[in-house]
Amino acid sequence: MIISVASGKGGTGKTTVAVSFALAARYCQFIDYDVEAPNADIFLKPDIKNIKKVSIKQPYFLTDTGNDFSKCAEFCHYNAIAVIGSEVIFYPELCHGCGGCLLVGPEGAVREKDVVVGEVAKGFTTPGIDFLKGNLIPGSMRTTTLQNELEKMLNKSGLVIIDAPPGNSCSMVMSVKNSDYCILVTEPTPYGFNDLLISMEVLEGLKVPYGVIINRDGVGDSAIEDYCTERNIRVHLKIPNDIEIAKIYSQGGTLLDYDSSYGEKFGIILKVIERISIGEADNHN
Amino acid sequence: MKGKTVKICITSTGTSLDSNVDPRFGRCPYFIIYDTDTDTFEAINNASRQAMGGAGIQAGQLIASKNVSAVITGNFGPNAFRVLQTAGIKTYSRVSGTVKDAIEKYRNSQLTETSAPDVTSHYGVGRSN
Ligand code: SF4
Repeated sequence: MIISVASGKGGTGKTTVAVSFALAARYCQFIDYDVEAPNADIFLKPDIKNIKKVSIKQPYFLTDTGNDFSKCAEFCHYNAIAVIGSEVIFYPELCHGCGGCLLVGPEGAVREKDVVVGEVAKGFTTPGIDFLKGNLIPGSMRTTTLQNELEKMLNKSGLVIIDAPPGNSCSMVMSVKNSDYCILVTEPTPYGFNDLLISMEVLEGLKVPYGVIINRDGVGDSAIEDYCTERNIRVHLKIPNDIEIAKIYSQGGTLLDYDSSYGEKFGIILKVIERISIGEADNHN
Repeated sequence: MKGKTVKICITSTGTSLDSNVDPRFGRCPYFIIYDTDTDTFEAINNASRQAMGGAGIQAGQLIASKNVSAVITGNFGPNAFRVLQTAGIKTYSRVSGTVKDAIEKYRNSQLTETSAPDVTSHYGVGRSN
């Protein structure tokens, strides 16, 4: 079973929730899909055993051969190449590495090289959490390349907890699209509400069932809760707005360090999700 | 062909000189190529505006192939800007009003050359026109 934890807005405590699920489950695979800013390792403190570099193919053009490269520019579906007279301008952020320009360009004058875009790190947290994360090189646009690499390593035979990147972008979709269930973490504020609605729309489009966890309960109003009740959307948990949690968090501690009963609480949510996904309990979406 | 080209390009919302200058270089509907010597013009359809990405790059190459000496528009993105710079084409941005007015201002040297892109990539994506 794959459970993803997402949030339309950064800083809502998404990672806290994802980590709590992993600790409550004890045996699972945990994947930090936020390759641009992975931070779950601060709390799970995994022992990294294996690091694999991830690279992409990128063309380069031997312009001093005096060849005409305009065929390459014409061919490139992504407009990653501009040819002005004898000059070639290459836009790596637009290139998809299809290799087409090598085929249509002047023979031997278009070459290909491997460019490292990041790495995938693998390890484990005691007692039984397999930990996986991606690290994108700052400035690289290849978020999804790295996420694809993580996807290949998904161990579907057991429980998988995915910590999705914040926001509702393409990389969030990549992280949640294969899930059996998604937990949306939000704050009871107008901003939180607004981003939550967008996330819900995304998940409905993807046909991924979801439920909500409200963090920092007490800072705002009850609009989100009312909305969820009205539409029969499950609110699995409300985490209080307690400065003590923030303090523990800033020292790399988890919700379970704050109050060990959260282990049990998250364990129960896991059971509920399991029952929803096998059809025993109603998912009210 | 003369040594010095007298053609300029204006991004346009339509095919006539009374059309307005379109604010987006890469995703404008039409380019008006105006010959300041003979006072004739042609309107070319900008096929690049439908491109998924790199519309400005494609449009920049098209314009470079038309042998123009200047481009007048609302905004240049960084990618298109680089293509036009490489091609040695003068760039004038922040221009609005009708195409006709823009040509007049150009003739009277009332436009100032742009030295840097105006907007980030993907500007103008997602609008219908
Ligand atoms: S490899 Fe493909 S996407 Fe990249 S520049 Fe060449 S043709 Fe374009």
